[in-house]
Amino acid sequence: MNVIFTAVFLSSLLAIAICAPDRLLSSLLGGAENSVKMAITLFCIYAVWMGLSKLAEKSGLSKGMARGLKPLSKRIFKTGGAAANEALAMNISCNLLGLGGAATPYAVKAIGELEKEGNSYAQKLLFVINATSIQILPTTVIALRASAGSVSPSDIFLPSLLCTAVSTFLAVLLFVIGNKLWR
Amino acid sequence: MALIVPVIFIIVFAFAVIKKVNVYECFTDGIKEAFNFTVSLLPCLAAVFMMCALFEESGLSDLLTRFLSPAFAFLGIPEELTKLVLIKPFSGSGSLAYLNEIITMYGADSYIARCACVCFGSSETVFYISAVYFAGLKVKKLAVPIICVLAATFVSTVIACLVCRIM
Repeated sequence: MNVIFTAVFLSSLLAIAICAPDRLLSSLLGGAENSVKMAITLFCIYAVWMGLSKLAEKSGLSKGMARGLKPLSKRIFKTGGAAANEALAMNISCNLLGLGGAATPYAVKAIGELEKEGNSYAQKLLFVINATSIQILPTTVIALRASAGSVSPSDIFLPSLLCTAVSTFLAVLLFVIGNKLWR
Repeated sequence: MALIVPVIFIIVFAFAVIKKVNVYECFTDGIKEAFNFTVSLLPCLAAVFMMCALFEESGLSDLLTRFLSPAFAFLGIPEELTKLVLIKPFSGSGSLAYLNEIITMYGADSYIARCACVCFGSSETVFYISAVYFAGLKVKKLAVPIICVLAATFVSTVIACLVCRIM
């Protein structure tokens, strides 16, 4: 992230210094302003889902779900930790339901738990799976198409499913191979 | 499908009541965590958003779009989608705004718009996710996973443009 950030920032700085030096500060401030708007949107999403997840956690519901998914996550992520497994199970279930916003807090929690185990393989694998999007129902896109007056807003369902399956499968495959090659 | 979310909420709330959990206190506790979490994200978000704004404003993104369009066209990705494909890994809100623009410009049922929707729906904001997930952790060497994800996303974009011609 450091390398990418520095490279993009520096080259943009140079370009803007040549083309429009007076716009530099205003675009930086605009970016910062957008980040605050984004943070407010994120807080709203997290407030709803983390409030709910705390309830599921306290009542033992998420523990039950994690127990059901444990054999699977144990094989895929190679972790035995109960807290990590619980967060992993919730992350995967939210993702499959297309609730991307709800999945993120669980992923962050799972990564924190995996950090305690020193399991960086599982951390990276979880990132690969989340970053290639594994949602079954692209709710946002369908809503957007419906509001734009599409005849059948959900006819992108099958192509989306195919593409997201291909990208996740390919990324995991590449990652497992890459992990074996450069350790 | 619209019932999924209400059903999840009802199940969780009902289960909590059965298990005699203090629902209000517990829900507020969760929101407190959400608040702290959002605040801890803000520095990373601000930095990444500044970078994106600068990249856009400096004209470099337009330059890159113009430079890459022919190569994308060769792979079957319509020229109109180049910018969306480039922005998506960096910014969810930015690419959503751009997707909306494409839909209104070409019509929701056009090939371009459907293609854009599939590309958008089957990919994620890779750099944003990596910033959020690994903020403040010691994990290094993220280059390999990021490259894997970007390569796979690109392949699925090519497939998306192909599939939308048929389906």
